[in-house]
Amino acid sequence: MRIKKKNQRFHWFMLLPACLFLVVFLLAPLVMMFVLSFRDVDSMMNTLQSYSLSQYLHVFTTDAYVKAIGSTVWVALQTTVICLLMAYPAAYVLVKAPHPRLRAFFYILLVSPLLTSVVIRTFAWIVLLSQNGLINGMLIDLHLIEKPLSMLWNMNAVIIAYVQVMLPFAVLPIATSLTDMDRHLRPASMSLGAGRIRTFFHVTLPLTIPGMITGAIIVFSLAAGSYITPLLVGGRMQPLLPLSIYQQVMQVYNLPLAAAMSFTLLICVLAVVSLLSYLLKRWEARMHA
Amino acid sequence: MSGINLEHISQHFGEQIALDDVSLTVKEGEFFSLLGPSGCGKSTLLNIIGGFLEPTKGVVYIGDQDVTTLPPYQRKTGMVFQSYALFPHLTVFDNVAYGLKVQKKKKAEIKQKVMESLSLVQLESFAKRMPHQLSGGQQQRVAIARALAIQPAVLLLDEPLSNLDAKLRKNMQTELRNIQRNVGITTILVTHDQEEALSLSDRIGILGEGKIQQIGTPLEVYRQPNNRFVAEFIGQVNLFEAEYDEVTSTYTVPHFTQSNGKQVQLKAAAFKEKSEKHLLMLRPERIKLSSGGEEVQPNHVTGMLADVSYIGHSLRLVVGLDQGEIIVHASDAAFPELPQVGETVHIHWQPEDIVFLDSKVHA
Amino acid sequence: MRKKSISDRLLSVLIWTAGSLVYLFLTVPVLVIVLSAFSPNAFPEFPPTSFSVRWFHEVVSNPEWMESLRISVILLLIVTPLTVLLGTMASYALARLSFKGKEAVQAFILSPLMIPQVVLGIAMLYLFTAMGFTGSLWALVIGHVIIGFPYVVRTVGVSVSNLDPRLELASMNLGAGPIRTFFRVTLPLIKPGIIAGGVFSAVTSFGEISISLFVSSPQTITIPVRTFNYIEQTFDPSVNAISVIFIIISIIALLIIEKTIGLSKVM
Repeated sequence: MRIKKKNQRFHWFMLLPACLFLVVFLLAPLVMMFVLSFRDVDSMMNTLQSYSLSQYLHVFTTDAYVKAIGSTVWVALQTTVICLLMAYPAAYVLVKAPHPRLRAFFYILLVSPLLTSVVIRTFAWIVLLSQNGLINGMLIDLHLIEKPLSMLWNMNAVIIAYVQVMLPFAVLPIATSLTDMDRHLRPASMSLGAGRIRTFFHVTLPLTIPGMITGAIIVFSLAAGSYITPLLVGGRMQPLLPLSIYQQVMQVYNLPLAAAMSFTLLICVLAVVSLLSYLLKRWEARMHA
Repeated sequence: MSGINLEHISQHFGEQIALDDVSLTVKEGEFFSLLGPSGCGKSTLLNIIGGFLEPTKGVVYIGDQDVTTLPPYQRKTGMVFQSYALFPHLTVFDNVAYGLKVQKKKKAEIKQKVMESLSLVQLESFAKRMPHQLSGGQQQRVAIARALAIQPAVLLLDEPLSNLDAKLRKNMQTELRNIQRNVGITTILVTHDQEEALSLSDRIGILGEGKIQQIGTPLEVYRQPNNRFVAEFIGQVNLFEAEYDEVTSTYTVPHFTQSNGKQVQLKAAAFKEKSEKHLLMLRPERIKLSSGGEEVQPNHVTGMLADVSYIGHSLRLVVGLDQGEIIVHASDAAFPELPQVGETVHIHWQPEDIVFLDSKVHA
Repeated sequence: MRKKSISDRLLSVLIWTAGSLVYLFLTVPVLVIVLSAFSPNAFPEFPPTSFSVRWFHEVVSNPEWMESLRISVILLLIVTPLTVLLGTMASYALARLSFKGKEAVQAFILSPLMIPQVVLGIAMLYLFTAMGFTGSLWALVIGHVIIGFPYVVRTVGVSVSNLDPRLELASMNLGAGPIRTFFRVTLPLIKPGIIAGGVFSAVTSFGEISISLFVSSPQTITIPVRTFNYIEQTFDPSVNAISVIFIIISIIALLIIEKTIGLSKVM
């Protein structure tokens, strides 16, 4: 059919610009960086012509960096788990809200932070947690403490800030799973003798697994790759890979090392995300044709 | 196995009255249908019986027990939903076993009961499948098996067959009836399909605008409707007004006044009250066609054929009278040749075929 | 369908309390910032004692902030049309085409959202240095377009999937070619998705920092970058005022998105 041919050509033409753009400005730099990660540097941080695995060796044999890899993954995992736990009641409340106005209100609370800058969201925690911040001010006013607590500049502050920044990304997919559920499933379970708690664990929870996995994928990727938040709230000394990368680029100017670290980070994130995606696919296959 | 007793159930949603003082009794082992148009409150009533809704007023008894305030998981009811509501993440076996696991039955006993249930609906070989691999009809049968597996006192069905296509629906209706007879369980079916209710039920409760319009056997409800609502809802119907003439002690039906001035007389069949006007009902299949113009029959009218619909097994004739029209259903066998629009038609019926409805038109 | 006994009621209370606490946790930082922005002191106090807009005055009268505002707005004005163009075309094409490997292409198009932004940042930096225009406005434009246009792809995707493809077939049956059909039939009908995507992309660009920090120069300091510098180096309460402005912008953006295609479908 001539119409079909004409159509196809038109559609392919439409797809081209975006693909070209990404190839040139996303794929190419990533490939270049990959190549760069195999280069050596001299003591002046100039890139030499030789290729080797020295950068990667450097990453994996330096204690500080190995620790950074581990704690990056560990922090991201903690953030993900906490987000999922907190997201559940929030998603529940969002979906079951009796008034559409109330639901809209919750939506605004949930989503509007996402549209501000991450700097702003992180800054709020500085205001809250710093030595002369709000919480310390209140505690001192209430005479609960004498000297201000030092709540910033540690990993816990980073995790708290992470959770607050990334929570909406966990709530929304779970809320979607909850609304996608056949509304007769809970009554069916109850008509078969299961109380509300049992119904939750045997029916509702399993059916929100897709939402939870989706949320976990998003939160984990974000948490593993963030550097602004830990920089502002945790300080430069935190053992996190994104921070090390930032330092190598902006302060040490050792790009090949930074490239090697970046790909290490990318692989870690990819590994976890692939595992989660695989689990999601398996689950979906079980549930749908 | 228990019967159900509903006493003065009312359900208000804010200003809206969904159910208005509904009382009815379903006998043990009976197949009872709740029939009515959309929005009449029948699903609400079922939800009240099932425990998903607490009535604004009234009491629900299952057997001798007052269950009005009990949640669904403490009532001995099994429910089948219109959307089947099978747990998509569980196999057919686990779906049916769900209620038994709640009861903490032993593994062997569960297996036995599940297979028993599945054999009731002839799906034993499907035990390992997932719901999405089943057709609509199969899913519905699993839903029924699941509800029956817990051996409830009462089986509640909320428009279970509405999502199936016509042919499948008919098959499932028969199956449903057989299963119910087999197991002997008290069953309440909610439906808007009057043919379904008539063919399956021992008794039917017709709901209209939140009130019970009539309760009776299919025969009673079809042949002796209480009021206009029931008459019009079940089957096709011709409705006329009759005026009682004190002087001559007879009824005349203006609808049937002939151009020659003759009135069609009615025998004073059973009627409710002597009042000025009555509403009469005449079922289209009760009207026979007569050949020629002999005025042999007591109720004989002549008219012109305004429309003919051929449905295969029967014809639907719309006969125009001097005042208004009358609908006639005649079997295909009676017509070697189809009648033509514009023909003169002679029709008659027996006086007993006329049913007096309540003189109060249903408000 | 509701049924409440004592234990059921307790459970409900528990759930609603937990949920509300979570929302409170989400909102407290915002409230704190608003509090600080309107407090006359450098440090916020609770309960607040007085109200002042001096920090807003400081921002407006500060030439550095105004310069950053100019840069951010110019960026936004360039970036948004580009993302809308690229994103709409790609989204529509993906919806209408079917070929082996389509899923991979789809993932590729949306990949900027999944790659850690620190990695994106340094990749951009490296590329632009090699190409010679790092630190220029165009470097920022490209960076913002890369992370902005996947949002447009998503929102337009929602609109396109709601569009009945038979409308386009009907148009072509009547003699219109695919281009004319696209402009006369498709485009007007996917407007909500385009608008929502544009708003998303604009807001994202306005608040973008992770990549901008790597590729900006002293001549192209956007508002978020300047905010970051201020926070890192000094303690300037006018950052609070900036934050409030951001919050207001985001709420307005949200309402626009909700009105056009509804949030629930995008995220």
